[in-house]
Amino acid sequence: MKLKLGNFYVKEIVFGDKTEYKNGILTVNKQEALDVVNEDDHITSAELYIANPGDSIRMTPVKEAIEPRCRLAEGPLFPGATGEIIQAGDGTTHCLKDMSILVVGEHYGGFQDGLIDMSGEGAKYTGFSQLKNLVLVADTDEDFERTEQQKKNHALRWAGMRLAEYIGETVRDLEPEKSDVYETTPLLQRTEKENELPNVAIVLQPQSQMEESGYNGLVYGWDCNHMVPTLMDPCEVLDGAVISGSFMPCSSKWSTYSFQNFPMIRRLLDEHGKTINFVGVIMSNLNVALEQKERSALFVAQIAKSLGVDAAIVAEEGYGNPDADFIACIVALEDAGVKTIGLTNEATGRDGASQPLVSLDEKADAIVSCGNVSDLIELPPMETVLGELEALARDGNSGGWWDDELLGPSVRKDGSIIMENNGMFCGDQVVGWSTKTMAEF
Amino acid sequence: MKKAILYLNQFFGQVGGEDMAHIEPVFHDKPVGPGMAFQANFGEDVKITHTIVCGDNYMGSNTEDALKTIMAFLEDKEFDIFLAGPAFRAGRYGAACGHVCKAVQDKFGVTAITSMNDENPGVEMFKSQMYIFKGGASAAAMRQDVPKMAGFAKKILNGEPLLPAAEEGYFGRGIRKQIWLEPAAPATDRVMDMLLKKINGEPFVSELPIPKADRVPIADALTPEELSKSEVALVTSGGIVPVGNPDRIQSASATKWGAYDISEMEGLKSGEFFTIHAGYDPAAANEDPNRTVPVDVLREFEKEGKIGGIYKYFYSTVGTGTTQAEASRMGQEIAEGLIKDGIKAAILTST
Repeated sequence: MKLKLGNFYVKEIVFGDKTEYKNGILTVNKQEALDVVNEDDHITSAELYIANPGDSIRMTPVKEAIEPRCRLAEGPLFPGATGEIIQAGDGTTHCLKDMSILVVGEHYGGFQDGLIDMSGEGAKYTGFSQLKNLVLVADTDEDFERTEQQKKNHALRWAGMRLAEYIGETVRDLEPEKSDVYETTPLLQRTEKENELPNVAIVLQPQSQMEESGYNGLVYGWDCNHMVPTLMDPCEVLDGAVISGSFMPCSSKWSTYSFQNFPMIRRLLDEHGKTINFVGVIMSNLNVALEQKERSALFVAQIAKSLGVDAAIVAEEGYGNPDADFIACIVALEDAGVKTIGLTNEATGRDGASQPLVSLDEKADAIVSCGNVSDLIELPPMETVLGELEALARDGNSGGWWDDELLGPSVRKDGSIIMENNGMFCGDQVVGWSTKTMAEF
Repeated sequence: MKKAILYLNQFFGQVGGEDMAHIEPVFHDKPVGPGMAFQANFGEDVKITHTIVCGDNYMGSNTEDALKTIMAFLEDKEFDIFLAGPAFRAGRYGAACGHVCKAVQDKFGVTAITSMNDENPGVEMFKSQMYIFKGGASAAAMRQDVPKMAGFAKKILNGEPLLPAAEEGYFGRGIRKQIWLEPAAPATDRVMDMLLKKINGEPFVSELPIPKADRVPIADALTPEELSKSEVALVTSGGIVPVGNPDRIQSASATKWGAYDISEMEGLKSGEFFTIHAGYDPAAANEDPNRTVPVDVLREFEKEGKIGGIYKYFYSTVGTGTTQAEASRMGQEIAEGLIKDGIKAAILTST
């Protein structure tokens, strides 16, 4: 496959008469954009905001982040999710860089939603503080889950994807400022030089713990809970074949933006032919039942073995129960003779002294650790809140609480907050951006 | 100006050698022995107001009394930090420093700092509970060890950011926290580096060293005969509680558990019990709480004579995001209650 990602670097987002991209300025006709959001009758109210790095803005409950893009060939940006199923990863897609579309609940959040601060001490806890963000704050009539801790956030997430397609259209006919070109060749027809290099695969474990559909990551629209691991071309992942789910505590989350940009995959593509022979993505999952965990680990090891993989990277979207899948997969690969690196975050508890992963094995001897969900964070108020600050304390956010004997409430009257890193939107950046690690004190 | 108090043994406290190791605690209102070196390092910012000196043998064989005397002395003293040693490789002195530092921290909430050589048994005994700096083998290292302790004490007293154990120079306390790497090194770089090293058989350092497994052996099985006479307890991490959650157990990262009387119940009724666990789909459990805590089936077993009865309470907490340390503490507390009531069999259900 040959994927050309044409980049347009957004310097500024403004509201104006005509939705267009010109010389780094993205102008958005607010009403037209809201009309796209409101195409779904389940959206009951919606408003758009702009949040830039350095702004005194706090956002919560943040539900999703998407990079606006435009597929030059006919077909949806997210095959199987926003339209028919077409091949992703082969062709040209234009991307608006240095920005994202953020989807924020107007009132209610939940276990899976997060928080973003655009400035101050809080900004360092999430990469989205470094982007220009077009922020959709909206509410829905999905009353069945209004006060549920677990939310599918369907109407809001799909509104975000429609918005990403709408904004992406601004660059359809323009010439990209720069392009990233990724070309993969058939595994059985690689050159002698490529075949001499060590064969490397990356195993992705996106979130799929919910048995009921609507919460899990989707691959071409298919619920990851209902699949067995399979081989995918890395270009497919970078081109909208996978969308984020709505389940995991937020610092561990891989948003759709994360999948579109997946730095670890891009790095392996860059290394291909130089230090490694990159054979592709083994797309796995994170299911709850032990039998499902064992089945997935078995399939991953079998695929790696069949391909003759020498070394692999296993990356998990989550912590706690999914640690069992993560470690089982590493062990299965090591047992198959594959030298394996784990990519994850940790949960060491309030005192930092708890076992960092629920499941451990001495075979997992090479792990890159991207952060700690349990670290406590105390932040001053921000001038502007987009969404509803109370959601952090009230709605079962994984990083917030209503009250605590020692720490008091998560959200204080003056707008200052105390929370676990757990609730920072995509804060641990296990997909490869993280410059955090763990150290013993 | 901040105040510090120092603990020394009889030798460094200038009382005498092994023949004076039996002495009870004595107190000075000034720096003594290594206290002079500490004071020189502290300069004007920190003053060593008192020195406590105790014989190593006395502390070793009368620990409780010695600590009681020392705590009574400290009761009316104002101090911001507590220092002990350095103890080098002296085993009894190391243990004494550990005992005193721990007692001071527990009673007064003041940070205590000591220093020992890595072969001092006091390190293993106390390293998870206090800052123990990596010290030399003998008093010849005094000049290196005192400035390390004093420098770190000053950092704490000034509220400066503290670096990881390896960089500060103390034995890690088993506390893992996230840090930002400087210069910034994204995970992609670290993965590639580790990957290529592992492929090439070169040494590499994992960012998550795997700690030794901590497993409890499963108890011996009861015979059907024994079971028919035993009350069985139900314990769950599935978050089933009376509607309203009277004990305010957290929905994730729980630190609390509850015990709920089921002695008069044939089963758990929907509407009376529900789950507060935020980590799984609650529909099935809320529709029929017995699916998570099977009181109904155990009552049938009781009638059939398979079990002697059901323990009067079921215990509940939430397992999602709950740390291993909290889980094992709660497990121990629940087990203590069960053992006290002579319960020999428990069923642990999750979600």
